[in-house]
Amino acid sequence: MNNNSNKMFFLFILFFSTLISISSNSWFGCWIGLEINLLSFIPLISNSKNLLSVETSLKYFLTQSLASINFLFMILIKFSLLKNFNMNNIISIMMNSSLLMKMGSAPFHFWFPNIVEGLSWMNNFMLMTWQKISPMILLSYYFNKNFLIFMIIMNLIIGSLGGLNQTSLRKLLAFSSINNLGWMIFSIMISENLWLFYFLIYSMMISMMISLFFLMNMYFMNQLFINNMNFFIKLNLLINFLSLGGLPPFMGFMPKWIIINFLLINKFYFLIFIFMMTSLIIIYYYIRIIYSSFMFNYFKMKWVNLLMKNNMSLINLSSFISISSMILSTFIFM
Amino acid sequence: MCFNSFFFLFFFMLINYFFFVYFIMNGLSVFFEWEIISFNSMSIVMSILLDWMSLLFMMFVSLISSVVIFYSKSYMNSELNLNRFIILVLMFVFSMVLLIISPNLISILLGWDGLGLISYCLVIYYQNLKSYNAGMLTALSNRIGDVMILMVICWVMNYGSWNYIFYFDFMKNDYVMFIISFMIIIAAMTKSAQIPFSSWLPAAMAAPTPVSALVHSSTLVTAGVYLLIRFNYLLIDMFFFKVLLFLSILTMFMSGISANYEFDLKKIIALSTLSQLGLMMSILSLGFPDIAFFHLLTHAMFKALLFMCAGVIIHMMNDIQDIRYMGGLSLYIPLTSLCLNISNLSLCGIPFLSGFYSKDLILEMVSFNSFNLMVFILFYLSTGLTVFYTFRLIMYVMINDFNLMMIYNLYDEDYIMLNSMFVLLFMSLLSGSFLSWFIFSYPYMIYLPFNLKLMVIYVSILGSILGFMVSNMGIYSLNKLLLSYNLSSFLCLMWFMPNLSTYGLSYIYLNFSQILFKNIDMGWSEIYSGKGIFNILKNYSVFYNIYQMNNFKIYLFSFILWFMILFIFFFI
Repeated sequence: MNNNSNKMFFLFILFFSTLISISSNSWFGCWIGLEINLLSFIPLISNSKNLLSVETSLKYFLTQSLASINFLFMILIKFSLLKNFNMNNIISIMMNSSLLMKMGSAPFHFWFPNIVEGLSWMNNFMLMTWQKISPMILLSYYFNKNFLIFMIIMNLIIGSLGGLNQTSLRKLLAFSSINNLGWMIFSIMISENLWLFYFLIYSMMISMMISLFFLMNMYFMNQLFINNMNFFIKLNLLINFLSLGGLPPFMGFMPKWIIINFLLINKFYFLIFIFMMTSLIIIYYYIRIIYSSFMFNYFKMKWVNLLMKNNMSLINLSSFISISSMILSTFIFM
Repeated sequence: MCFNSFFFLFFFMLINYFFFVYFIMNGLSVFFEWEIISFNSMSIVMSILLDWMSLLFMMFVSLISSVVIFYSKSYMNSELNLNRFIILVLMFVFSMVLLIISPNLISILLGWDGLGLISYCLVIYYQNLKSYNAGMLTALSNRIGDVMILMVICWVMNYGSWNYIFYFDFMKNDYVMFIISFMIIIAAMTKSAQIPFSSWLPAAMAAPTPVSALVHSSTLVTAGVYLLIRFNYLLIDMFFFKVLLFLSILTMFMSGISANYEFDLKKIIALSTLSQLGLMMSILSLGFPDIAFFHLLTHAMFKALLFMCAGVIIHMMNDIQDIRYMGGLSLYIPLTSLCLNISNLSLCGIPFLSGFYSKDLILEMVSFNSFNLMVFILFYLSTGLTVFYTFRLIMYVMINDFNLMMIYNLYDEDYIMLNSMFVLLFMSLLSGSFLSWFIFSYPYMIYLPFNLKLMVIYVSILGSILGFMVSNMGIYSLNKLLLSYNLSSFLCLMWFMPNLSTYGLSYIYLNFSQILFKNIDMGWSEIYSGKGIFNILKNYSVFYNIYQMNNFKIYLFSFILWFMILFIFFFI
């Protein structure tokens, strides 16, 4: 965002709206927050000079407004027809469905890869991290366990299988985001603290990766195979991808580990199986992306010169954090 | 490095010589024990036995190895890593000495395994494909012997200690000793290359010539004979000794025949070594361990000398080992041909050279005692065959015309190699009589009829005439081998026994593993994991993509449809 005070203004309202939504007393306030969120995000992503981004913002508006309307409707039905706090009824299913559609979770996720394809990297970062906060917290207030578990399984499977056939990096991260949504929704059901932990680590990893792609201006897989990339950038990319997939010494393994621990203790064996197998598929296509760029030796292209960037220290710091934070975090408890 | 080790080993030889003379004159034998650790009721004790046999053998081993190291200073002077070679040879000598002086099985095992391992390192020294194959064959054949000795160690633990020399008199009829003797005989057979395990000795000629001179003539291959001599009191009445007699006589005969068809110089000498080993083993299994020891020592002398002469000739022939390229060398290299002739004649048993004393004594003992007809015939026939291939070799190398090139320069005056050969020449001339005066405190009483006594000479003359006639080649000579092709290939290829150790063992398994690899590793296990799962997932992903690539309104409408369905369920 190049010194654009409009964007700063809308960003501020975006943040504020999320805070409104999660800290309100009544369901109506939540809905207000969601609406303001939608309204302030649209100007952030639309750029009237670019037809693709206009179309993207229109799609985003349509889906999110549909979901918000449904959410409002379900809130009103709940207030008028139900007088208890039992969460295992159909109203909670319907409220959860609308919230799931706002988040971009399966089975209402079909807009998500489309829209992600039309946004720039920074807007994607907003969409994948910040925009998920308020629907998930609202989800944690009133969720239907059986419905959500089914949705989690669908998330995991679609996130893993959909990403296998992609070459666009944005769509790849979109499907991985859908997969991680499955983990996050499950962590909501365990404890909200755990969800916060998972979400923070996930957004940190996504931010590192997206900043890397943004710096190198890479949108598609064939742009990864440039030999002129600095070795440390490639290494950072490798580590971040592996961390995102949940490989043990890296940071991204930690929240998944805690969730698996909970699953094992409470004997969710079938669910563990699906979590594990889909993680394998996800890691497969991450590794498929990075091993070609990391290990093979392509001819050097002379007209593209990706030298060391000015802010290498940030990249090094992020690599260091990804590698060592899991072990360093145990020092907290000393 | 060469000089240092030469001097060290030479002085070691002198020390051994003086101690040997002192011990045998006074009938002494010394048994050292070093208690390494003693813990409750268990104690680990390292023991060394020095009697006249071990001292004499050590003297011969150190003499040959010192001479060989001195020789290899000139033979291997173009080798970059000569120090590595010398260190390997020294380790070999150390293992051999450990084997000789040890009265208990653990240090025998250390020496035995060391011998096998270092001979492998030395055989693969040139590091080409042939050396690798030869080394593998050598190491694996020797390994069988190692396994046998390990099992003997297990069985001997029944008696409470590994010092086998104490148990021979007391435990002779025991079942355990029966098993032990069987395994010891097999171990000795692998090391000394008797019939089932005889394929490694001609193959090990891929080693450098000094290695062949040291290892494959005198030390490694005689370790088996030495082990049997040490165990002789145990084995002397056992059934397996008769089996050993049969196999060693056949070895002697077979290698004598095969040497007649060979054209590679070192292989002829290797097969001659094999034949003499068969002779040693057979006379040992007939019950005469001291004669076997005597022949072991004299054979070491002239065989090492023969290998060293072969080394000089190979160097001169520009590294060609084929005797068909050689000829008339007696005119050009008189000193080397002197050594070659004397060692060859000593091998044949020409009177009063060193080989005569041992070989003639063996043949007379065989005639004097009453053994069966096959033993008698094969002994004399093998002696005749020895003379046959020796004279054939002399004809090809010395007497016929020179076959290599038009312009040549045969240089003999490499005095480093020549001096080392002269030492062995001196010993090869005199060691027969010298040893017979020392070892046999009283001569054997042998009384034979006149023709039987001359049988050796008849057989030798016959062999020499045949050797002369076979190698009389002219330009128009026919290759008679082709007329009897099947028989010739049977006799030449050591009666097809190497195939048992090489091709026969590996063929079944390699074939089977090819089938397994093609059908399972690259077949079914790819479908059920790996590629199969990848294809399934890819198909699912493609199938999913059909749903993903849709009209946008469909998404919105499907959401509304979901809600309508829920409403219907709720409100009915």
